[in-house]
Amino acid sequence: MQTAASNSASLPVAQQAASVRTPGPIRHYGRYLYLAINIAILVFLLAPIAIVVVFALNPTPFIQFPPVGVSLRWFEKFFASRDFMHALGFSLEVAVLTTLSATLLGASAALALARGNLPGTRLIVATMLSPLMLPAILTGLALFQTYVLLDVGRPTWGLVAGHTLVTLPYVVRTTLAVLHNFDMRLEEAAQNLGASPVRTFFEVTLPLIKPGVLAGAIFAFIVSFDQFPVSLFLVSPGNETLPVTLFNYLKFDLDGTIGAASVVSIVLAFVVVIGLDRTVGLRSYVKL
Amino acid sequence: MSSTTTTRPNGLALFILPSALMFALFFFLPIGLMALMSVLTGNPVVMPKVAFTTRHYARMVGDPYYLEVIWTTIRIGLVTTLVALAIGYPLAHWMARIKSRAGHALLLMAVLAPMLTGIVVRTFAWMTLLSDKGVVNQTLMSLGLISQPLKLMYTETGIVVGLVHIYVPFMVLTLTGVIGRIDERLEQAAENLGASPLRAFLEVTLPLSLPGILAGSLLVFALAISAYVTPILLGGFQIMTLPILIYQQISANFNVGFAAALGIVLLVISLMLVIAYNRALGLVSGQRELQ
Repeated sequence: MQTAASNSASLPVAQQAASVRTPGPIRHYGRYLYLAINIAILVFLLAPIAIVVVFALNPTPFIQFPPVGVSLRWFEKFFASRDFMHALGFSLEVAVLTTLSATLLGASAALALARGNLPGTRLIVATMLSPLMLPAILTGLALFQTYVLLDVGRPTWGLVAGHTLVTLPYVVRTTLAVLHNFDMRLEEAAQNLGASPVRTFFEVTLPLIKPGVLAGAIFAFIVSFDQFPVSLFLVSPGNETLPVTLFNYLKFDLDGTIGAASVVSIVLAFVVVIGLDRTVGLRSYVKL
Repeated sequence: MSSTTTTRPNGLALFILPSALMFALFFFLPIGLMALMSVLTGNPVVMPKVAFTTRHYARMVGDPYYLEVIWTTIRIGLVTTLVALAIGYPLAHWMARIKSRAGHALLLMAVLAPMLTGIVVRTFAWMTLLSDKGVVNQTLMSLGLISQPLKLMYTETGIVVGLVHIYVPFMVLTLTGVIGRIDERLEQAAENLGASPLRAFLEVTLPLSLPGILAGSLLVFALAISAYVTPILLGGFQIMTLPILIYQQISANFNVGFAAALGIVLLVISLMLVIAYNRALGLVSGQRELQ
């Protein structure tokens, strides 16, 4: 594997140079092995998603393989189910509210961190990114206990607050990434040409950081839409998000409805991402 | 982040306040309350007489069952991390070194696609694959390779497979960033000096990517030990991990104090991992500054 790995650099030019140095079949076998291993890994990553689609279309009432046909009955059942439709609507509502609050809070925080000359910036950034690594189930548990102690019940704003906390880091990160690559002389130039700081902000800064903010917003939407551990503690019975409803359904039933619901949520996530990629070019702004 | 100069905070610094308030109210206050609940005998709002106690922690340490749960959680996390590293590294290497833009975009999509699919959905996918009548067993049986279905679900192996699938993208993305920063010419120089590709990889690329290996591993471990959905569905309620136990204490026993104590244990483990992760990534950026 490692022989293969080091060989990956063999692209046209490098390959030519390499074949001059050490001709022979070993290098080629290494290259094939390297590709074979990586393709196997890609299959591992993608096959389960393909399988979900297969079961969403397979008409048998239980999980059966190989599939026997193609039908849309599970999609009909999903879209006809009041529980699932209510959950889907509620999830979208929470995801939209979360995206708005996380984007506003995260983008302004990133601006303050990059430009505000704040002391202890590194520590603040680490703190703001920590919900990404701290178990979300703890965020859920801690908020649940707080709401119980304060006797506020399980309101939607409480759930949105929990979701905002776990999605805000994405916005902070993508916005900071853009701000760091930002040529500050552009702002100076605008001000030298007579623009007020406010006008400079709206006409120079904001348009330039917009891609980072939007990329963060898209992450916030998807993470909120798929969020489970925080929701588990904070949803109220009868007012559950789609992942929680799917989870409760999965505990007892394993039929194609879950497959259909999964396909719907996958398609939704992809539409959002591709839509954003088309409009602002996500890839070039998200540092990976 | 580079603004650690002696200049004073300016007007823009005020933009931090909404987030600071958010974190104070919905992060630090709740975690503080959780820490407080973990050392109280009951809910101070409902019960008039509450006292400080260490009994929740004593219960955890005194009962081998709870220590076993903690160990199971850590064991699953460790195995998940090692497997994720083993399959994440080759893919990350390919992504970091591939020259074709389209190829890179396709690989990135392939890695991101599972991340865009919710945890519940992906766990469902693994249930359909691993169950007794699932895809893997049906295929192996129809090929005549096995006569009895393999017990893949409701085992730790099943949980690890599901967790690896969910968290390997995090490993790949962390490693890709680090490997991508290693100057390819270093490898080429080693090979020009006569090292075999294997030796060049082992003595140049691998050591230089160690901080990334460390950071990715810590990230995956932290995520794996806090997973709830995958262990409960693929473990079929038979394998107990810390997050499952925490939720059970709330939903079935309503023992908020003990749940809080378990939460604090998970929090302390995670905090140590976060600090280690930041240090590992600090090593990476330190390296970059040296170049």
